[in-house]
Amino acid sequence: MGGTELLQFVLAGLKNGSIYALVALGFTLIYAATGVINFAQGEFYMLGGMLSVWAYADLGLPLPLAGLVGVMATAAVGGVFELGAIRQRKDGDPLALIVITVGGSMVLSSMARHLFGPNERPLPLFSGGGSVSVFGAVLEVQTIWILGLTALAVVGLWYLYNRTGLGRAMRACAVNRDAARIVGIDTRLMVTVSFLLAAALGALAGLAVTPLTQTAFDVGPTVGIKGFAAAILGGLGNPIAAVVGGLVLGMLESVSIAFISSTYKDAIALIVLLGVLFVRPQGILGRSRREKV
Amino acid sequence: MRERRIDIRTVVGLALVAALVFAVPVLTSDRYLLKVLTFVGVNVIIVTGMALLFGYAGQVSLGHAAFYGIGAYTSAYVVSSLGWPWLTGVVLAVVLTCAGGLLLALPSLRLKGHYLAMATLGFGEIMRVVFVEARGVTGGPDGFSGIPFASVGGLTIDSAGGNYWLIWGVAAVVLAFAANLVRSRAGRAMRALHGSESGALACGIDLTGLKVRVFVISAALAGLAGALYAHVVGFISPSTFSLHVSVLLVAMAVLGGTRSLAGPVLATVLLTMIPFADAVIPGLSRSALEMIQEWQEDVYGLTIIAVLLFVPGGLAGALRRVSGWGRRAE
Repeated sequence: MGGTELLQFVLAGLKNGSIYALVALGFTLIYAATGVINFAQGEFYMLGGMLSVWAYADLGLPLPLAGLVGVMATAAVGGVFELGAIRQRKDGDPLALIVITVGGSMVLSSMARHLFGPNERPLPLFSGGGSVSVFGAVLEVQTIWILGLTALAVVGLWYLYNRTGLGRAMRACAVNRDAARIVGIDTRLMVTVSFLLAAALGALAGLAVTPLTQTAFDVGPTVGIKGFAAAILGGLGNPIAAVVGGLVLGMLESVSIAFISSTYKDAIALIVLLGVLFVRPQGILGRSRREKV
Repeated sequence: MRERRIDIRTVVGLALVAALVFAVPVLTSDRYLLKVLTFVGVNVIIVTGMALLFGYAGQVSLGHAAFYGIGAYTSAYVVSSLGWPWLTGVVLAVVLTCAGGLLLALPSLRLKGHYLAMATLGFGEIMRVVFVEARGVTGGPDGFSGIPFASVGGLTIDSAGGNYWLIWGVAAVVLAFAANLVRSRAGRAMRALHGSESGALACGIDLTGLKVRVFVISAALAGLAGALYAHVVGFISPSTFSLHVSVLLVAMAVLGGTRSLAGPVLATVLLTMIPFADAVIPGLSRSALEMIQEWQEDVYGLTIIAVLLFVPGGLAGALRRVSGWGRRAE
C-alpha cells in the first residue's frame, strides 16, 4: 500500500473519529454529572440531522439557519428529557436511570419516524461538492467542515470548562456532587446543562455528517454504541479522553478496512469496546480508581 | 429474613392457572391464537431469566436477543444442516449460550457499576453483524428456512396444539426452577444484595459469583427459548434477534417489577400480545390493528419510563398490594 492510499485511510479515520468524538463527549458530560450512561445519546445525533433536514426542506430556512435550528431544537429535547424523566426519578438509582434512557431512546426514534417518515432524508453539502488534494490524497470540503466544527466544539467546551463559572461548577459536580452542593452549586441545574450540552454536541455531529450519509430515524443506536465505545476507550468522564478515544477508534476502523475487510467494519468498534472493558476498564487515559464502601 | 410460607390458596391458585393454560388447545382450535400464545410462552422463558437478572441481581442486559439468536441458529444449524436429532440441537444451544454468557459476564461483573449493560449491548450488536454476515451458517439477511419441527424418537410435534404444549411445558418447568431458586440460599443472597451490596458483602456473600451465575442462567434460558422457537416457526432471520427485541425484553422485566416472577410473566403476556391484539379481540378492525402496531414502540418506551418513574414496583408491586388488601380484610 502506497503512502497516498494510507493517507486517504487516515483522513477517513479522522473524519469518522471526530464524529465519534462529539458523541463520546456527550456520553462523558452526562456521565460526569450523573454517573449514568445515557443510552439516548445516539438519538441526539439522529435528531440533529433530522431536525436540520426538517428546518431546511420543510420550513425552507437557509442551510446555516436550519442547522442552527436543528442543533438548538435537539438541545431543547435533551433538556426536556432530563427535566421530564431523569429528574423525576428522585432517588437517582443508576440502574433505573439507565433503563429510563433506554426507554427514552426508543420513544425518540419512534417519534422521529411518526413525524418525518421512515425514509432516508438528504441535506446539501455545506459549501458545494469540491475537494482539495493533500499530498495526493483527496480531502472533501465537507470533511473539512466536520473536522473544523469538531475542533470548534472542543475548543468551546475547553473554554467553558476552564474559563467560566458555569464550567467550574460543572467540574465541581463531576468531582463530588455532595461537596459541590455544600458550597452552593445548584447540582440539579448542572445535570440539566449537561443534557443540553450533550444533546447539542450529538446534534452537531449528526448535522455535519448528514450531507455525506443522509439520515433516517434509525441511525441513532449504531452511532451511539460507537460513541460509547470511544468514550470507554479514552476513559469515561474525561472530555479530553473522549476526544482521544473518538479519534483512535476512527483510525482503528479505518485501518481495519484497509488491512482486513469492510464486512466486519461495524464490529471493530464493538470488539474494541469489549476488549477495553475487559482489559482496561478505566480507558487509555483513565486512572484506576478504587471503590470504597 | 423470615421465609414466606406457601399457603394453600397460592397452591390452588397456581394449579388453576396452570390447568387453564394447559387447557387452551382443548378449548380453542384457532390456530392463529395458539401460535400467538406459543410466542408468549417463548417470551416467558426468556423473561424469567431477565426477571432473575433485573429483579433479583439488580443488573440489566441489553443483549439478550443475541443469546436468543445464538440458541435459535445453533439448533437450526445442528438439526437442519447437520441432520442431528432435535434434542442435541437444543442441548447444544443451551451449552453454547451458557459459555457465551460466562465469557461476557466474568470480566464485566468484576467491575462495580453497570458495565454489564454496555458489554451486553456491544455483544448484541456484534452478534447482529455475525447473523447477517456468516451466511454459511445463518443464511445471511434472507434468514434460515426449512427448520424441521421438534421430534423425539419417532414422535414429531407438528400440530399447533402440540407446539403450544411443548413451549408451555418447558416454560412451566423453567418457572418452577426459578421459583425454587429465589427461595433457596442463593435467592436470599440475591435479596440481600438488593438491599445493600456492602451489607451483603460483609455477610460473606460472593456477590460477583452470584451475579455471574444469574447472568449465565438468564443467557441459557434465552438460548433455550431460541432453540425451541426455531423449530416452532421453521424460519428465523436476523431481524428477530435485534437490539429492538433486547429492549422489548427489558421492558417486560421492568413492567413486571422487581423481586417477583408472577409480575414479569404477566407483563410478558401483555406486551407480547400488543401487536397481535386481533387474536384476542375478535372484532378488531385491520386499521385499528395497524395503528396499534405503528405505535407499539412508543408504548414500550413510555411503559419503561412511566413504570420506573411512577410505579417502581411494577405489576408485581400492584399484585402485592392487591393480595395485601385481601389478607388485611380477613
